[in-house]
Amino acid sequence: MQKTKLPAVLATFVVCYAFWILLTWTFTVQELAAGAIVSLAIALFSARFFVHEKAGWLANPVRFLACLGYWIGTFMKELISANLNMARICFGGCRDINPGIVKIPTDMQSDYGIAAVANSITLTPGTITMETTEEDGQNYLYVHWIDVKETDPEKAGEAIKGSLERGVRRFWK
Amino acid sequence: MALRIVCDIFFAIGLVFAFAGTKGILKMPDTFSRMQAQTCIATLGVLGVVIGGVLYAAIGMHSAGTAIKIAVIGLLILVTNPIGSHVLARGAYRGGIRPEKKMETDDLGRDFDD
Amino acid sequence: MTDMLIFSIFFAVLAAMNLYRLAKGPNAADRMVAGDAMDTLICCAMILFSLFSGRGVYLDIAVLTALFGIIDTIVVGRYLEGGKKK
Repeated sequence: MQKTKLPAVLATFVVCYAFWILLTWTFTVQELAAGAIVSLAIALFSARFFVHEKAGWLANPVRFLACLGYWIGTFMKELISANLNMARICFGGCRDINPGIVKIPTDMQSDYGIAAVANSITLTPGTITMETTEEDGQNYLYVHWIDVKETDPEKAGEAIKGSLERGVRRFWK
Repeated sequence: MALRIVCDIFFAIGLVFAFAGTKGILKMPDTFSRMQAQTCIATLGVLGVVIGGVLYAAIGMHSAGTAIKIAVIGLLILVTNPIGSHVLARGAYRGGIRPEKKMETDDLGRDFDD
Repeated sequence: MTDMLIFSIFFAVLAAMNLYRLAKGPNAADRMVAGDAMDTLICCAMILFSLFSGRGVYLDIAVLTALFGIIDTIVVGRYLEGGKKK
Protein backbone atom coordinates (compact mmCIF):
# COMPACT_ATOMS: atom_id res chain seq x y z
CA MET A 1 0.00 0.00 0.00
CA GLN A 2 1.49 3.28 -1.05
CA LYS A 3 0.69 6.78 0.13
CA THR A 4 -1.78 9.07 -1.58
CA LYS A 5 -0.06 11.63 -3.82
CA LEU A 6 -1.51 14.90 -5.12
CA PRO A 7 -1.04 14.29 -8.90
CA ALA A 8 -2.67 10.90 -8.55
CA VAL A 9 -5.69 12.44 -6.80
CA LEU A 10 -5.90 15.14 -9.46
CA ALA A 11 -5.81 12.63 -12.33
CA THR A 12 -8.48 10.41 -10.75
CA PHE A 13 -10.63 13.46 -10.03
CA VAL A 14 -10.45 14.63 -13.65
CA VAL A 15 -11.42 11.20 -14.97
CA CYS A 16 -14.33 10.81 -12.51
CA TYR A 17 -15.64 14.33 -13.16
CA ALA A 18 -15.45 13.95 -16.93
CA PHE A 19 -17.37 10.69 -16.64
CA TRP A 20 -20.04 12.38 -14.49
CA ILE A 21 -20.48 15.25 -16.94
CA LEU A 22 -20.67 12.93 -19.93
CA LEU A 23 -23.30 10.76 -18.25
CA THR A 24 -25.58 13.48 -16.92
CA TRP A 25 -25.09 16.16 -19.62
CA THR A 26 -26.96 18.86 -17.69
CA PHE A 27 -25.17 22.09 -16.83
CA THR A 28 -27.01 23.44 -13.80
CA VAL A 29 -24.88 24.61 -10.88
CA GLN A 30 -26.30 22.10 -8.43
CA GLU A 31 -25.49 19.07 -10.55
CA LEU A 32 -21.97 20.28 -11.28
CA ALA A 33 -21.28 20.96 -7.59
CA ALA A 34 -22.65 17.58 -6.49
CA GLY A 35 -20.53 15.84 -9.12
CA ALA A 36 -17.42 17.72 -7.99
CA ILE A 37 -17.94 16.74 -4.35
CA VAL A 38 -18.57 13.07 -5.10
CA SER A 39 -15.63 12.90 -7.53
CA LEU A 40 -13.29 14.47 -4.98
CA ALA A 41 -14.35 12.01 -2.28
CA ILE A 42 -13.84 9.05 -4.62
CA ALA A 43 -10.46 10.40 -5.77
CA LEU A 44 -9.21 10.88 -2.19
CA PHE A 45 -10.28 7.38 -1.28
CA SER A 46 -9.18 5.38 -4.28
CA ALA A 47 -6.31 7.21 -6.02
CA ARG A 48 -3.73 5.04 -4.30
CA PHE A 49 -5.22 1.92 -5.87
CA PHE A 50 -5.42 3.32 -9.40
CA VAL A 51 -2.23 5.28 -9.99
CA HIS A 52 1.07 3.54 -9.34
CA GLU A 53 3.43 5.54 -11.54
CA LYS A 54 3.61 9.03 -12.99
CA ALA A 55 0.06 10.37 -13.18
CA GLY A 56 0.61 13.09 -15.79
CA TRP A 57 2.39 10.92 -18.35
CA LEU A 58 -0.32 11.25 -20.99
CA ALA A 59 -0.92 14.97 -20.38
CA ASN A 60 1.88 15.70 -22.86
CA PRO A 61 0.08 16.52 -26.16
CA VAL A 62 2.59 14.62 -28.33
CA ARG A 63 2.09 11.43 -26.33
CA PHE A 64 -1.67 11.95 -26.19
CA LEU A 65 -1.92 12.31 -29.98
CA ALA A 66 0.26 9.23 -30.43
CA CYS A 67 -2.06 7.33 -28.07
CA LEU A 68 -5.16 8.49 -29.96
CA GLY A 69 -3.59 7.63 -33.30
CA TYR A 70 -2.72 4.17 -32.02
CA TRP A 71 -6.27 3.39 -30.86
CA ILE A 72 -7.93 4.76 -34.00
CA GLY A 73 -5.42 3.61 -36.61
CA THR A 74 -3.25 0.60 -35.82
CA PHE A 75 -5.49 -1.05 -33.28
CA MET A 76 -8.67 -0.70 -35.34
CA LYS A 77 -6.98 -2.30 -38.34
CA GLU A 78 -5.87 -5.29 -36.26
CA LEU A 79 -9.30 -5.48 -34.61
CA ILE A 80 -11.24 -5.61 -37.88
CA SER A 81 -8.97 -8.20 -39.50
CA ALA A 82 -9.08 -10.41 -36.38
CA ASN A 83 -12.87 -10.05 -36.22
CA LEU A 84 -13.26 -11.12 -39.84
CA ASN A 85 -11.03 -14.13 -39.15
CA MET A 86 -13.08 -15.09 -36.10
CA ALA A 87 -16.38 -14.69 -37.96
CA ARG A 88 -15.04 -16.95 -40.70
CA ILE A 89 -14.18 -19.61 -38.13
CA CYS A 90 -17.60 -19.34 -36.47
CA PHE A 91 -19.65 -19.46 -39.67
CA GLY A 92 -17.46 -22.29 -40.95
CA GLY A 93 -18.73 -24.59 -38.24
CA CYS A 94 -16.05 -24.07 -35.55
CA ARG A 95 -14.11 -27.06 -36.82
CA ASP A 96 -10.67 -25.89 -38.00
CA ILE A 97 -9.40 -24.57 -34.67
CA ASN A 98 -6.21 -25.53 -32.91
CA PRO A 99 -6.20 -23.97 -29.41
CA GLY A 100 -3.17 -23.71 -27.17
CA ILE A 101 -1.40 -21.52 -24.64
CA VAL A 102 1.90 -19.94 -25.70
CA LYS A 103 4.41 -17.93 -23.69
CA ILE A 104 5.67 -14.80 -25.45
CA PRO A 105 8.27 -12.26 -24.33
CA THR A 106 7.41 -8.55 -24.32
CA ASP A 107 9.72 -5.53 -24.39
CA MET A 108 7.56 -3.39 -22.11
CA GLN A 109 8.95 -2.40 -18.70
CA SER A 110 6.34 -0.23 -16.99
CA ASP A 111 3.06 -1.50 -15.56
CA TYR A 112 1.00 0.67 -17.88
CA GLY A 113 2.85 -0.54 -20.96
CA ILE A 114 2.28 -4.18 -20.02
CA ALA A 115 -1.37 -3.46 -19.26
CA ALA A 116 -1.88 -1.67 -22.59
CA VAL A 117 -0.31 -4.50 -24.59
CA ALA A 118 -2.13 -7.21 -22.63
CA ASN A 119 -5.51 -5.53 -22.99
CA SER A 120 -4.95 -4.91 -26.70
CA ILE A 121 -4.16 -8.60 -27.12
CA THR A 122 -7.26 -9.60 -25.17
CA LEU A 123 -9.54 -7.26 -27.09
CA THR A 124 -8.62 -8.72 -30.48
CA PRO A 125 -10.74 -11.86 -30.94
CA GLY A 126 -8.65 -15.01 -31.09
CA THR A 127 -6.17 -14.23 -28.32
CA ILE A 128 -6.65 -13.84 -24.55
CA THR A 129 -3.89 -12.88 -22.12
CA MET A 130 -4.07 -15.21 -19.14
CA GLU A 131 -1.06 -14.39 -16.96
CA THR A 132 1.95 -12.09 -16.81
CA THR A 133 5.23 -12.99 -15.16
CA GLU A 134 8.76 -11.67 -14.86
CA GLU A 135 11.97 -13.66 -15.14
CA ASP A 136 15.40 -11.99 -14.93
CA GLY A 137 14.10 -8.55 -15.85
CA GLN A 138 12.25 -9.81 -18.94
CA ASN A 139 8.45 -9.74 -18.87
CA TYR A 140 6.46 -12.61 -20.32
CA LEU A 141 2.80 -12.99 -21.24
CA TYR A 142 0.88 -16.26 -21.37
CA VAL A 143 -1.59 -16.03 -24.23
CA HIS A 144 -4.39 -18.41 -25.14
CA TRP A 145 -4.40 -18.55 -28.93
CA ILE A 146 -7.27 -20.16 -30.78
CA ASP A 147 -5.26 -21.09 -33.86
CA VAL A 148 -1.66 -21.92 -32.92
CA LYS A 149 0.63 -21.53 -35.91
CA GLU A 150 4.00 -21.10 -34.18
CA THR A 151 5.25 -22.59 -30.94
CA ASP A 152 8.59 -20.76 -30.90
CA PRO A 153 8.21 -17.80 -28.45
CA GLU A 154 9.78 -15.09 -30.65
CA LYS A 155 7.88 -15.99 -33.81
CA ALA A 156 4.61 -16.44 -31.93
CA GLY A 157 5.11 -13.05 -30.27
CA GLU A 158 5.69 -11.41 -33.63
CA ALA A 159 2.55 -13.02 -35.05
CA ILE A 160 0.35 -12.11 -32.06
CA LYS A 161 1.47 -8.63 -31.02
CA GLY A 162 4.06 -7.34 -33.50
CA SER A 163 2.34 -4.19 -34.73
CA LEU A 164 0.43 -3.64 -31.47
CA GLU A 165 3.60 -3.50 -29.39
CA ARG A 166 5.36 -1.26 -31.89
CA GLY A 167 2.38 1.13 -31.65
CA VAL A 168 2.30 1.15 -27.85
CA ARG A 169 6.07 1.72 -27.58
CA ARG A 170 5.61 5.14 -29.15
CA PHE A 171 3.96 6.51 -25.99
CA TRP A 172 4.68 4.07 -23.15
CA LYS A 173 7.89 2.33 -22.24
CA MET B 1 -33.38 9.07 -45.88
CA ALA B 2 -29.76 8.53 -46.86
CA LEU B 3 -28.82 8.81 -43.19
CA ARG B 4 -31.24 6.04 -42.27
CA ILE B 5 -29.68 3.74 -44.87
CA VAL B 6 -26.14 4.43 -43.58
CA CYS B 7 -27.26 3.79 -39.99
CA ASP B 8 -28.99 0.57 -41.03
CA ILE B 9 -25.79 -0.62 -42.70
CA PHE B 10 -23.87 -0.06 -39.46
CA PHE B 11 -26.55 -1.85 -37.43
CA ALA B 12 -26.47 -4.75 -39.85
CA ILE B 13 -22.68 -5.03 -39.51
CA GLY B 14 -23.09 -5.17 -35.75
CA LEU B 15 -25.82 -7.78 -36.06
CA VAL B 16 -23.69 -10.00 -38.30
CA PHE B 17 -20.76 -10.01 -35.87
CA ALA B 18 -23.06 -10.49 -32.87
CA PHE B 19 -24.59 -13.48 -34.63
CA ALA B 20 -21.13 -14.88 -35.36
CA GLY B 21 -20.22 -14.55 -31.67
CA THR B 22 -23.46 -16.19 -30.54
CA LYS B 23 -22.96 -19.08 -32.93
CA GLY B 24 -19.42 -19.46 -31.60
CA ILE B 25 -20.63 -19.54 -28.01
CA LEU B 26 -23.18 -22.21 -28.84
CA LYS B 27 -20.97 -24.42 -31.01
CA MET B 28 -17.35 -24.10 -29.84
CA PRO B 29 -15.92 -27.27 -28.26
CA ASP B 30 -14.26 -25.96 -25.08
CA THR B 31 -14.48 -23.16 -22.52
CA PHE B 32 -11.59 -20.95 -23.62
CA SER B 33 -12.67 -21.00 -27.26
CA ARG B 34 -16.11 -19.82 -26.15
CA MET B 35 -14.44 -16.88 -24.44
CA GLN B 36 -12.73 -16.01 -27.72
CA ALA B 37 -16.08 -15.99 -29.49
CA GLN B 38 -17.55 -13.74 -26.81
CA THR B 39 -14.93 -11.08 -27.58
CA CYS B 40 -16.35 -10.90 -31.10
CA ILE B 41 -19.71 -9.66 -29.73
CA ALA B 42 -18.11 -7.08 -27.45
CA THR B 43 -15.94 -5.46 -30.11
CA LEU B 44 -17.39 -5.10 -33.58
CA GLY B 45 -20.95 -6.03 -32.55
CA VAL B 46 -21.10 -3.18 -30.06
CA LEU B 47 -19.04 -0.86 -32.24
CA GLY B 48 -21.44 -1.19 -35.17
CA VAL B 49 -24.47 -0.38 -33.03
CA VAL B 50 -22.70 2.50 -31.30
CA ILE B 51 -21.42 4.15 -34.49
CA GLY B 52 -24.82 3.87 -36.14
CA GLY B 53 -26.58 5.13 -33.03
CA VAL B 54 -24.26 8.11 -32.62
CA LEU B 55 -24.73 9.09 -36.27
CA TYR B 56 -28.50 8.82 -36.01
CA ALA B 57 -28.77 10.65 -32.68
CA ALA B 58 -26.43 13.47 -33.67
CA ILE B 59 -27.67 14.15 -37.21
CA GLY B 60 -31.17 12.68 -37.30
CA MET B 61 -32.42 13.60 -33.82
CA HIS B 62 -30.24 16.73 -33.16
CA SER B 63 -29.70 15.54 -29.62
CA ALA B 64 -26.10 15.91 -28.46
CA GLY B 65 -26.79 14.41 -25.02
CA THR B 66 -28.12 11.16 -26.44
CA ALA B 67 -25.20 10.85 -28.86
CA ILE B 68 -22.61 11.39 -26.15
CA LYS B 69 -24.33 8.95 -23.80
CA ILE B 70 -24.31 6.24 -26.47
CA ALA B 71 -20.63 6.91 -27.17
CA VAL B 72 -19.86 6.63 -23.44
CA ILE B 73 -21.66 3.28 -23.24
CA GLY B 74 -19.61 1.96 -26.17
CA LEU B 75 -16.37 3.22 -24.64
CA LEU B 76 -17.30 1.66 -21.29
CA ILE B 77 -17.89 -1.76 -22.80
CA LEU B 78 -14.73 -1.58 -24.93
CA VAL B 79 -12.55 -0.58 -21.96
CA THR B 80 -13.94 -2.99 -19.39
CA ASN B 81 -14.50 -6.12 -21.49
CA PRO B 82 -10.84 -7.26 -21.74
CA ILE B 83 -10.46 -7.00 -17.95
CA GLY B 84 -13.42 -9.27 -17.31
CA SER B 85 -12.35 -11.67 -20.02
CA HIS B 86 -8.82 -11.91 -18.63
CA VAL B 87 -9.99 -12.43 -15.04
CA LEU B 88 -12.47 -15.10 -16.08
CA ALA B 89 -9.92 -16.99 -18.21
CA ARG B 90 -7.31 -16.97 -15.45
CA GLY B 91 -9.84 -17.98 -12.82
CA ALA B 92 -11.15 -20.83 -14.97
CA TYR B 93 -7.63 -22.12 -15.63
CA ARG B 94 -6.55 -21.91 -12.00
CA GLY B 95 -9.80 -23.49 -10.86
CA GLY B 96 -8.88 -26.64 -12.73
CA ILE B 97 -10.99 -26.32 -15.90
CA ARG B 98 -9.20 -27.88 -18.89
CA PRO B 99 -10.46 -28.55 -22.43
CA GLU B 100 -11.36 -32.16 -23.14
CA LYS B 101 -9.17 -32.37 -26.21
CA LYS B 102 -5.43 -31.98 -25.54
CA MET B 103 -4.20 -28.50 -26.39
CA GLU B 104 -1.51 -27.93 -29.00
CA THR B 105 0.93 -26.39 -26.51
CA ASP B 106 0.30 -25.64 -22.85
CA ASP B 107 3.11 -23.44 -21.55
CA LEU B 108 1.09 -22.27 -18.53
CA GLY B 109 0.50 -25.80 -17.32
CA ARG B 110 4.16 -26.58 -17.91
CA ASP B 111 5.52 -23.63 -15.95
CA PHE B 112 3.06 -23.50 -13.05
CA ASP B 113 2.89 -27.19 -12.33
CA ASP B 114 0.61 -28.07 -9.46
CA MET C 1 -38.13 4.27 -37.18
CA THR C 2 -39.45 0.74 -37.50
CA ASP C 3 -36.10 -0.62 -38.66
CA MET C 4 -34.58 0.12 -35.26
CA LEU C 5 -37.35 -1.84 -33.55
CA ILE C 6 -36.63 -4.78 -35.86
CA PHE C 7 -32.90 -4.66 -35.13
CA SER C 8 -33.65 -4.40 -31.43
CA ILE C 9 -35.81 -7.52 -31.59
CA PHE C 10 -33.02 -9.34 -33.44
CA PHE C 11 -30.54 -8.48 -30.70
CA ALA C 12 -32.97 -9.64 -28.02
CA VAL C 13 -33.43 -12.94 -29.89
CA LEU C 14 -29.64 -13.39 -30.00
CA ALA C 15 -29.53 -12.77 -26.24
CA ALA C 16 -32.23 -15.40 -25.76
CA MET C 17 -30.21 -17.89 -27.82
CA ASN C 18 -27.41 -17.60 -25.26
CA LEU C 19 -29.81 -18.99 -22.64
CA TYR C 20 -29.12 -22.45 -24.06
CA ARG C 21 -25.46 -22.24 -23.09
CA LEU C 22 -26.41 -20.64 -19.78
CA ALA C 23 -28.63 -23.59 -18.92
CA LYS C 24 -26.49 -26.41 -20.33
CA GLY C 25 -22.89 -25.22 -19.91
CA PRO C 26 -20.77 -27.94 -18.29
CA ASN C 27 -19.15 -25.65 -15.70
CA ALA C 28 -19.45 -22.24 -14.07
CA ALA C 29 -17.08 -20.44 -16.46
CA ASP C 30 -19.24 -21.42 -19.45
CA ARG C 31 -22.33 -20.04 -17.74
CA MET C 32 -20.53 -16.80 -16.96
CA VAL C 33 -19.34 -16.38 -20.55
CA ALA C 34 -22.90 -16.78 -21.78
CA GLY C 35 -24.13 -14.35 -19.13
CA ASP C 36 -21.59 -11.75 -20.16
CA ALA C 37 -22.57 -12.10 -23.80
CA MET C 38 -26.25 -11.73 -22.90
CA ASP C 39 -25.40 -8.61 -20.97
CA THR C 40 -23.67 -6.98 -23.93
CA LEU C 41 -26.43 -7.96 -26.34
CA ILE C 42 -29.18 -6.61 -24.07
CA CYS C 43 -27.21 -3.37 -23.79
CA CYS C 44 -27.22 -3.09 -27.61
CA ALA C 45 -30.94 -3.84 -27.72
CA MET C 46 -31.57 -1.11 -25.14
CA ILE C 47 -29.64 1.46 -27.20
CA LEU C 48 -31.64 0.60 -30.31
CA PHE C 49 -34.96 0.63 -28.46
CA SER C 50 -34.12 4.00 -26.96
CA LEU C 51 -33.51 5.39 -30.46
CA PHE C 52 -36.81 3.88 -31.59
CA SER C 53 -38.94 5.26 -28.77
CA GLY C 54 -37.03 8.54 -28.29
CA ARG C 55 -36.87 8.21 -24.50
CA GLY C 56 -33.67 8.64 -22.55
CA VAL C 57 -34.59 6.24 -19.75
CA TYR C 58 -33.48 3.18 -21.70
CA LEU C 59 -30.00 4.63 -22.12
CA ASP C 60 -29.61 4.85 -18.34
CA ILE C 61 -30.66 1.22 -18.08
CA ALA C 62 -28.06 0.37 -20.74
CA VAL C 63 -25.32 2.13 -18.73
CA LEU C 64 -26.26 0.21 -15.60
CA THR C 65 -26.36 -3.08 -17.51
CA ALA C 66 -22.85 -2.52 -18.84
CA LEU C 67 -21.50 -1.54 -15.41
CA PHE C 68 -23.01 -4.45 -13.49
CA GLY C 69 -22.03 -6.88 -16.24
CA ILE C 70 -18.34 -6.18 -15.72
CA ILE C 71 -18.68 -6.29 -11.94
CA ASP C 72 -20.31 -9.72 -11.80
CA THR C 73 -17.85 -11.14 -14.33
CA ILE C 74 -14.93 -10.06 -12.17
CA VAL C 75 -16.55 -11.38 -8.99
CA VAL C 76 -17.21 -14.81 -10.50
CA GLY C 77 -13.69 -14.91 -11.97
CA ARG C 78 -12.06 -14.20 -8.64
CA TYR C 79 -14.31 -16.76 -6.97
CA LEU C 80 -13.33 -19.49 -9.42
CA GLU C 81 -9.65 -18.69 -8.93
CA GLY C 82 -9.74 -19.80 -5.31
CA GLY C 83 -11.27 -23.14 -6.20
CA LYS C 84 -8.07 -25.16 -6.16
CA LYS C 85 -5.24 -24.35 -3.80
CA LYS C 86 -1.65 -25.04 -4.68
